Amino acid sequence: MESNRRNFLQHSLLGAAGLGLGVASTSEVRAQALPGGLEPEVTDNVDVLVVGGGTAGHVAAIQAGRAGASVLLVERGSQLGGTMTTGGVAYPGLFDAWGKQVIAGIGWEIVKESVEMDGGNFPDFAKVPQRHYMNQVFTNQFLYAILAEEKCEQAGVRIAYHEFPQSVKKGEKGWEVDCVGFGTKRRVNCKQIIDCTGGAEVCGLIGLARLREDERQPGSYLYMLGKAHEPGRNQIHRLYVHGADSTNSRTVTHANLTGRKSILAEARKKKGRLMHLQPETGFRESYRIDGETLITVNDYRDGRLFEDAVCYAFYPVDLHTKSGVKPEPLKPGKVPTVPLRALIPKGSRNIIVAGRSVSSDRLANSGLRVQASCMGMGQAAGAAAALAAKAETTPLEVPLKELHALLREHGAIIPGDV
Amino acid sequence: MSDRPKIQLGTLFRRSVSLLTAFTFLVLSVTGVIAFILPFSIDIIGLHALMGFVFVVLIGLHVFNNSRPLKSYLHSKALWVTVTITAALTGLFWWQPAPVKTVLGWSGNLGPAIERFEMNEDDMVFDYAPSPDYKIRLNVKTGSSYETSPPPQVAIWLENQGGYHIKTLLAPGSSGETPYYTFKHAGWEKAKSEAEKGVKIDAVSQPTPNGSFDPADYILPTDSKESTPYALFLEINQPGDKQASLVYSVGIDNSLPRSFQLLDLRGYPKREEDDVDGKETWGLYYVDESFVTALELIDSALLTIDRGK
Repeated sequence: MESNRRNFLQHSLLGAAGLGLGVASTSEVRAQALPGGLEPEVTDNVDVLVVGGGTAGHVAAIQAGRAGASVLLVERGSQLGGTMTTGGVAYPGLFDAWGKQVIAGIGWEIVKESVEMDGGNFPDFAKVPQRHYMNQVFTNQFLYAILAEEKCEQAGVRIAYHEFPQSVKKGEKGWEVDCVGFGTKRRVNCKQIIDCTGGAEVCGLIGLARLREDERQPGSYLYMLGKAHEPGRNQIHRLYVHGADSTNSRTVTHANLTGRKSILAEARKKKGRLMHLQPETGFRESYRIDGETLITVNDYRDGRLFEDAVCYAFYPVDLHTKSGVKPEPLKPGKVPTVPLRALIPKGSRNIIVAGRSVSSDRLANSGLRVQASCMGMGQAAGAAAALAAKAETTPLEVPLKELHALLREHGAIIPGDV
Repeated sequence: MSDRPKIQLGTLFRRSVSLLTAFTFLVLSVTGVIAFILPFSIDIIGLHALMGFVFVVLIGLHVFNNSRPLKSYLHSKALWVTVTITAALTGLFWWQPAPVKTVLGWSGNLGPAIERFEMNEDDMVFDYAPSPDYKIRLNVKTGSSYETSPPPQVAIWLENQGGYHIKTLLAPGSSGETPYYTFKHAGWEKAKSEAEKGVKIDAVSQPTPNGSFDPADYILPTDSKESTPYALFLEINQPGDKQASLVYSVGIDNSLPRSFQLLDLRGYPKREEDDVDGKETWGLYYVDESFVTALELIDSALLTIDRGK
């Protein structure tokens, strides 16, 4: 009887396909029972806690894991990649400057693998781009997110989605961090924290000084109306959401509602099919840390080589305003660098940030905030935190030589190497 | 004996002045037209200028000879009409609004005077003044490998922010030595001709919000806040040096005016795969160690823009 029923279904499906009707396929996989999965409260003891799995965070976590640290990655959303995947800005850049690759390492490794697997194309870094964005790498956002998870798993990084820290206290050997997700209360005892929240949210919880402008750059809500979205091939429509602010759940919700309402109005007006819609606005700006040093726009424009530089950054000064953006390209030969001290909140120990909350003035930050640079910073922060955890010290006291050696071992480019 | 009256000396003088005035006017007219049409020639311009001085003297004598009837004209009603017309034409030709500029631009002699290029062994100076209040000077200091015989081929042009050629300021003597300029210029010619035929051109109209074939839209915007940046490009190649040409450029933004800007080396042109339509395509590539003397053709290139008040 069962067999007959299966045959009937198979024949029905074949018949539908023969008639040219679209048939969705279904495949199966079983999630193994999670040990203690029903417990409402859990405790983790790790060397490094990474908060935020965006363009800096997942790279930081993988680097720390590969360096031998036990790592937990907490992410408020449901996938890794941040603006590249959840925001949909899946054309990371810039990895090159003036004919040479200046940012490589773990971020580039995932980008490269996803482009190759997707049959995509890489820009020719020897060619002078007509405009800076021409050397951004078109990446399949969906593939990137899954590959990033795979790399985390291979590096021994455990991922906790849908969670975010509620309180952070100093513990005996580092930090006690209480995170909350739906149905989960998690106590994390860790030696080091890497804050990759994009808005230095953990630093805020601890009470460290942060910088914030009266006005923030608009966010971009990405969607596709009327035409199919081809991931890894084309850029999609962008809606500027002015006032978009990633500071907390309320401001993020407000930005997303505002963006989606506007897209719905456009779909009604143009009577076009909505073919693609990202789940969240791509945010550009919120809080930055007040670090041990601050990268000024003059440092950035001049390509200052800091004595404790850990990675390059490369992008025009690119401040988006109410009237749009007028990128200011860097002068030939200039390649800014990021010093370790700009990732360390002033006066802090055992915490380091990476990504767009790097200590910098607003104009410098408008260039530093882009994805390739965030990946470079993430890898540097991951290495510094892992070394600090191992040596029972703080990232600022990690010998620079050791830090550079570890980064080089994992494919990163240190300023001065090229 | 003839009954014909003797010609008096005074009458002979008057007739001579009148005829000389007419003949010199004829020479001035012909040389004036030639000077307008043909490129600058010291023979023609010299003849025109010197004959002009003679004409001025003859006009003086003519006025002296005919002072009585001319005085009567001063009491004529035509006086104010003619004074007004003369003043209006003087003002028009002095201020040279766009239509007058266009007519001057048709001249083989005066047109290039608006755009002047001088080259010697120390430097190359290019002047371009699309308006009395907007003067561009490009001063290129020659480098150690610069040679005057044969001189390098130089092309100078403007591009909009979409990377499309909008105006040639200096065409090279030989297009084969400056392939990047040739590629850019050909693209502009094609796009322009298709636009004139009414074909929709994505290449020129789409990349910039105010895409236009008129360089004045970029160089002399009516509202500098609404202007889009443009760029000045220079391509230089020393024939026979076995190295590709080099391209220098600088961005110009009227909404962020700068008086002095140095051109930066952008790269060298290399032919790429033809595009999907089979069109020849060239791209710029970063210079590598194969470039030696070509890098020393230019010491520096300084762009000066005088925007008046």
